[in-house]
Amino acid sequence: MFKRSFTLVIALAILAGSLGLALAGDGNARKGKYLFRKNCRACHLENGKAKDLSPMDLTQAQWQKTFADPSKLACKDEFAKLSKDDLNDIMTYMVEGAKDSPTPAKCK
Amino acid sequence: MAVKLGMVIDAASCIDCKGCQAACKVANQVPDGHWRNWIKRGDEEKAALDRQGLRFQPGNCMQCDKPTCVAACPTGATYKEAKDGVVRIDRELCIGCGQCLAACPYQARYRHPQLRVADKCDFCAERRAAGLQPACVDTCPTKARVFGDLNDPDSPAGRLLRGKASVQVVNQQSNTDPNLYYLGDPGPADWPVQAKMPTPWQFWKSLGGPALEALVGLTGLGVIAMYGRQLILGDHDQPPEHASGHPEGGDHDQHA
Amino acid sequence: MASKQFMVSRRGFLKLGVGAAATATAGGLLKARPAGAQGGLKPGFESKFTVCDMCFNKCSAIARVGDGVVRKLDPNPKFLKSRGMLCAKGNAGLHQLYDPNRLKYPLLRVGERGQGQFRRISWSEALDLAAAKMGAIAKEYTRCGMLFMAGADMQSTFVHRFAEAFGSYNVISHESNCLLSNNRAFLDTFGEVPIPDVLNSKYILMAGANRFESLVTPDSIDLMTTLREHGCKLVVLDPRYTKTAALANEYHAIRPGTDLALMLALMHVLINEGLYDKQFVAEKTYGLEQLRTHVQSYSPEWAAGQTDIPAEAIRRMARELAAAAPAAMVYPGRRSSDYANSTQIRRGFAMVNALLGNWDRPGGLTAARVVGLKGGIPLEAPFYEDNPPERVDSGQARLMFEEEGSFKLTRDAALKGEPYPIKGFFAYHVNPMQTGANRRKTIAMLNQMDFVMVMDVAMTDTAWMADLVLPSQTYLERLDPASAQQGSSACACVVQRDPVAPAMFEAQPVFFVVQELAKRLELGEHFDFTVEEFRAAQLADLPDAPQALAEDGVYYNPSRLYGVYEGKIYKTKSHKIELFNQRYAEAGLDPMPVYTAPAQPPAGQFRLVVGRNALITQSSSTSNALLLQMQPDNDLWIHPDSAARLGVKAGQRVAVTSPAGQQVLTARVTHETRPDTVYMHTGFGVMSRELAAYGRGGCIAAVLVDAVDEISGNMAMHETFVQVAAA
Repeated sequence: MFKRSFTLVIALAILAGSLGLALAGDGNARKGKYLFRKNCRACHLENGKAKDLSPMDLTQAQWQKTFADPSKLACKDEFAKLSKDDLNDIMTYMVEGAKDSPTPAKCK
Repeated sequence: MAVKLGMVIDAASCIDCKGCQAACKVANQVPDGHWRNWIKRGDEEKAALDRQGLRFQPGNCMQCDKPTCVAACPTGATYKEAKDGVVRIDRELCIGCGQCLAACPYQARYRHPQLRVADKCDFCAERRAAGLQPACVDTCPTKARVFGDLNDPDSPAGRLLRGKASVQVVNQQSNTDPNLYYLGDPGPADWPVQAKMPTPWQFWKSLGGPALEALVGLTGLGVIAMYGRQLILGDHDQPPEHASGHPEGGDHDQHA
Repeated sequence: MASKQFMVSRRGFLKLGVGAAATATAGGLLKARPAGAQGGLKPGFESKFTVCDMCFNKCSAIARVGDGVVRKLDPNPKFLKSRGMLCAKGNAGLHQLYDPNRLKYPLLRVGERGQGQFRRISWSEALDLAAAKMGAIAKEYTRCGMLFMAGADMQSTFVHRFAEAFGSYNVISHESNCLLSNNRAFLDTFGEVPIPDVLNSKYILMAGANRFESLVTPDSIDLMTTLREHGCKLVVLDPRYTKTAALANEYHAIRPGTDLALMLALMHVLINEGLYDKQFVAEKTYGLEQLRTHVQSYSPEWAAGQTDIPAEAIRRMARELAAAAPAAMVYPGRRSSDYANSTQIRRGFAMVNALLGNWDRPGGLTAARVVGLKGGIPLEAPFYEDNPPERVDSGQARLMFEEEGSFKLTRDAALKGEPYPIKGFFAYHVNPMQTGANRRKTIAMLNQMDFVMVMDVAMTDTAWMADLVLPSQTYLERLDPASAQQGSSACACVVQRDPVAPAMFEAQPVFFVVQELAKRLELGEHFDFTVEEFRAAQLADLPDAPQALAEDGVYYNPSRLYGVYEGKIYKTKSHKIELFNQRYAEAGLDPMPVYTAPAQPPAGQFRLVVGRNALITQSSSTSNALLLQMQPDNDLWIHPDSAARLGVKAGQRVAVTSPAGQQVLTARVTHETRPDTVYMHTGFGVMSRELAAYGRGGCIAAVLVDAVDEISGNMAMHETFVQVAAA
């Protein structure tokens, strides 16, 4: 499937860059959506503690960078609480729905 | 100058969407199969062959200055409103004789099958009384129909009429001086028919003119004659050429 | 004026004598008005804002209501997107509300599927049954065993929400029978689906779109305005002499399926003659040099042989487009469910626009404007571990829109039972029996279901096939969420719908249905709100909106129209407008569209194309009592030469036969179609005997073959060849 081969390309790019977490980006986007809502939207919500957030807010490269090195994020401690698999699922969801992705997310 | 309500129509803007016809049907509760307004079209087969384009021509009762329908009406039910020039029908007076249908060069009238009276466009008198535009004008997507006082140079219609060359669509044998004007090329122009005035009426009129007209009116002779005709002929009294008025309410698919 | 006075006095006289015998009836509109008043008249009707639902355009309208009865629907003059108009269908809307044939109560099938035998049941019985059936399907086949389909309706968002909470990804819209190829192509070129700035355009090349009959606001109206007032030139390419063609400055009866040849030839001229916008292309596009090489063989002379359009005309069109650029465009169009390579065809459309440099500029293609409407109340849907990994239609079309799906591929999967079974169907305000090519397959898909539930206003053909039929309120009875609209240069705006007439019979909104089902399926927490609360959440960022909506029926966001991409990236892989699409290359697709000549109809056969006019919104309008008077059926358009060869005369009944099936309808012998092409309007030939259109015309879905756009998964309907014979 096109989408899969495409995420593989991302994965290779990330590995080549040997960045921090080295998430493969081949997770389960559906589960990632669920985990994003469960773990991130407590703060990343309209009138929430942090900015309302959707995959559409960043490009694929920006999401990869964000997940590769969350150390500068305000919520870096929240990142640390999540398993690598869960983070991989969330990143997959964000990247697959990024604004420059072939199938940008429709709504938040 | 007195108010003279009319329309200035840009046929070139008409897309033949039937919005005006649908709006009119609802606003005036026009019965199934009948229409108070229409969109004429040129020869579409010819247009398709020579690719010179096609023009659509919206229309309705032209509220003529010399209305043959008024002259043909034996009861005075059809009259020209003094205050604005709109030709109206008093349903209490109309006996449904059908003379006005034949007398209209534009076949703008039909006989209401339930009410058994003549009916036609009155520029949505009820809507105007409520401060609204005629339904066809209000709804028109491309605003091809512009309505207003033709005698008022500042009304939208008056402005258009004075600003650009415009024409009336008339039958030269029955030039009724209509108050629908078309800007530029109106498209099909040869469709109005010669008005057919009621024969007995013309005969009487030729004898005595207005005096006899008054006499007939007073005695009610004409009324009885026409009413009797309606009773005899019942619902099927419309001459064949007027039976459906303007059947091309529908799309052209059905008229190939 | 003596005679006039005389006439009046005669009238007065006769009134006494004859008036009593004559039938007098007041007109409809002002029946409820207090009598006598003239001038400064207080109307006896109330005026209430509504939003039309007779097609997808959602025009704001004013309902004139007297005695609780909608007497007339008028346009809202303050609604700029429609340019203050209401079309024939909009005017006919009250016949949907007062349709004697509309669904009144929940109905349960008692006979065989498709036999039309139902019995009335209560809402509680209906909802209990539906919840039990859906629960059983989830248990046996996973939650993805339920297929949801919802049409272009302001409450469809609740069906999508329910599907997600319930746990099925198998949600499809009507869109994959309509416009997805075009969306795919423009998204893969510009990074978003453009809004054409028709009003300010000076040159519009319209290929296959019929904007003066298939009304799109504001494009249809703006097109006439720019033609009449701005001197815009309109060139129409269509195998059919449509009203748009008739009103165009130039028309070519292009051979169906060859639009891409024309687009490639236009690019050939634009590049070889150096007519493209050099600065724009250099700064904002990716892949000009590849494209230059790619189009070398696609000369106007070559394209003339494909399209039947003279080479000099093609060359002239390219030059005229360039001369008018950037206020010039190849109109993007809408329905593009035509060919197996429709995405690539439409890529050609998009790429010509890119060379013209018209993106984000007056008279060209513009980006979606900011409206500011929020998504409503957030959903935290559960995650069901036992669900299959993907949609049932996944992995076939190379770039299917995940959130739209593909009706065609879903139906194929359901028929095969692979990759997993689809055994339940809930359709709302959508009628794939009429709109999905190859009706036999749709019937077969429904027949293999354990449970089919359809909610609509009328007994559509899809409802006719259902086990449970639920009566929907019409738009005039409903309170609906707010809706964001893109109105090009006219506006970016919000509309919302409040009831203008009391609900009739036992009809309900679909929100009620999903809320009640959610309660019964232990999903109640996801629907723990009212529509008003949902709407308030949507409008949270627009504090001025509620007052504007109350006063004007519309809220405008004064957002920017042009230049919104200044300093921003394009949402593509290269972050530029992609003449050469890198992702296509990676996926093994042609990165630039390669022309393949369409198959020609076998001897004695014709290509069947379908469309509509301003009276038709597919099958949802064809049984309307008013519209039916103007459009009583559909017929088969066939060229006189072809008809003569077949011995078919105008008005004769003909059988139209394809591998998908046969329909019998009346021949309309006309020069308005090409000799190799026959044409039908959509929406007729219904199976449901509960519809006024029953027994009229032929059904497109019963003869169209169900090919598929290999990239988007969109239905490809014009790949159909038919035989025509006197019936």
